Amino acid sequence: MNTQSKKIQPQDLPKRSLAEWITFGIAVAILSTVIGLVSYVWLGKERQPPVLSITYEKTIRKVDGQFYVPFILINKGGETVESVRVYAELVINSDFKEQSEQEIDFLSSGEVQEGAFIFSKNPQEGKLKLKVESYKLP
Amino acid sequence: MQTFKKSSLSMWKQELNSLIRGISGGFLFGIPLLYTMEVWWVGSSAKPPRLLIAIALTFTIVFLLNQTTGFRDTKDVRFRDAFMDSTRAIAIGLLCTSCVLVLFQEITFDTPLGEALGKLIYESVPFALGVALSNQFLKDNSDQNQEDRKKQQKSDRKKQLNGTIADVGATFVGSIIVGFSIAPTDEVPMLAASTSGPWLLLLILASLLISYAIVFAASFSNQTKRQQQQGIFQDPFSETVISYLVSLVAAALMLWFFNQLNLELPWSTWLRYTVIMGLPASVGGAAGRLAI
Repeated sequence: MNTQSKKIQPQDLPKRSLAEWITFGIAVAILSTVIGLVSYVWLGKERQPPVLSITYEKTIRKVDGQFYVPFILINKGGETVESVRVYAELVINSDFKEQSEQEIDFLSSGEVQEGAFIFSKNPQEGKLKLKVESYKLP
Repeated sequence: MQTFKKSSLSMWKQELNSLIRGISGGFLFGIPLLYTMEVWWVGSSAKPPRLLIAIALTFTIVFLLNQTTGFRDTKDVRFRDAFMDSTRAIAIGLLCTSCVLVLFQEITFDTPLGEALGKLIYESVPFALGVALSNQFLKDNSDQNQEDRKKQQKSDRKKQLNGTIADVGATFVGSIIVGFSIAPTDEVPMLAASTSGPWLLLLILASLLISYAIVFAASFSNQTKRQQQQGIFQDPFSETVISYLVSLVAAALMLWFFNQLNLELPWSTWLRYTVIMGLPASVGGAAGRLAI
């Protein structure tokens, strides 16, 4: 029978123990920290538009006749972007041209994404151009 | 003096018990979404006002749940009690999901603050709901039911079931039920690709700890029965370890079934995939053992 639970009055209930108050205090601290950090992000860089920059590293790897050029893509702006298309073009003596491109799914504010473009000829013998082509907002 | 020490110890034991029960419920309810990359992405791109709304909505739902079920032995009749427990439930959710996201390396020192907060808050929503529902999980509906079931189980076991086989079966079935929706997804290879030895060891440790907490430390209603269970699973530690191994086998089979693993792949891939699937499988296995 559940009639007993109906008879319980708030004043009859046991008081909260010290342990419960301490864990409640820790919980309040965790929740306030998270809410505080979200507010900080909100008032901070969030309003700035995305600023994307791509650079490549000079340490080119050669494996099985292929040249791997590592790149670093950074979103220096405030907003998160999706479907970022990055493009690289290698031109050697104006008669050889090779292109490589790829799409990064997702890049939030301040996020760094690393990857590599792969070419069949040594990029150090020609001119390598890297650029961010496009992105979309989520 | 000794009485004071005793009561203080029992107070902390009771509190710890409630918290572990909440954590266990959170894992049972929240584990499938912890393995969902769309939730990581939605969280990453969510704007701060949306995150604050998510916290407020979660708090409201958890508050309502705490008034009916919750994760404590006591009922939250008073507004103040439900408020305190809701705050705790959300904090448990935030803390546990942050641990798992760090284990998955979805949150690292390089993750921007906004992205980390988004992932954390979105993942902690189902977890906090699980905390608030933990008393509801695997809880017997009534004393009468429990009594009937005990009698039924006793006679059944005498007739046909060896305790150990029952445990292995329950662990296996529980692992399959929880893991089946995760095994075919891209999250497993994705997490496996970014993980390495030490992280896998930590994941194994976390799986064992969570499994132990669900079955032995969280004071769910069927625990007394579990401690009376016969067979090689009698000792809590050996039960946890053996069940984990059973869950790993179930995890590997599920991955093979969904063609995530095949015999041509190297053993290291099998190991990584299986350990990653081992976490939800061991959570399911633990729930399965409590359910029998």
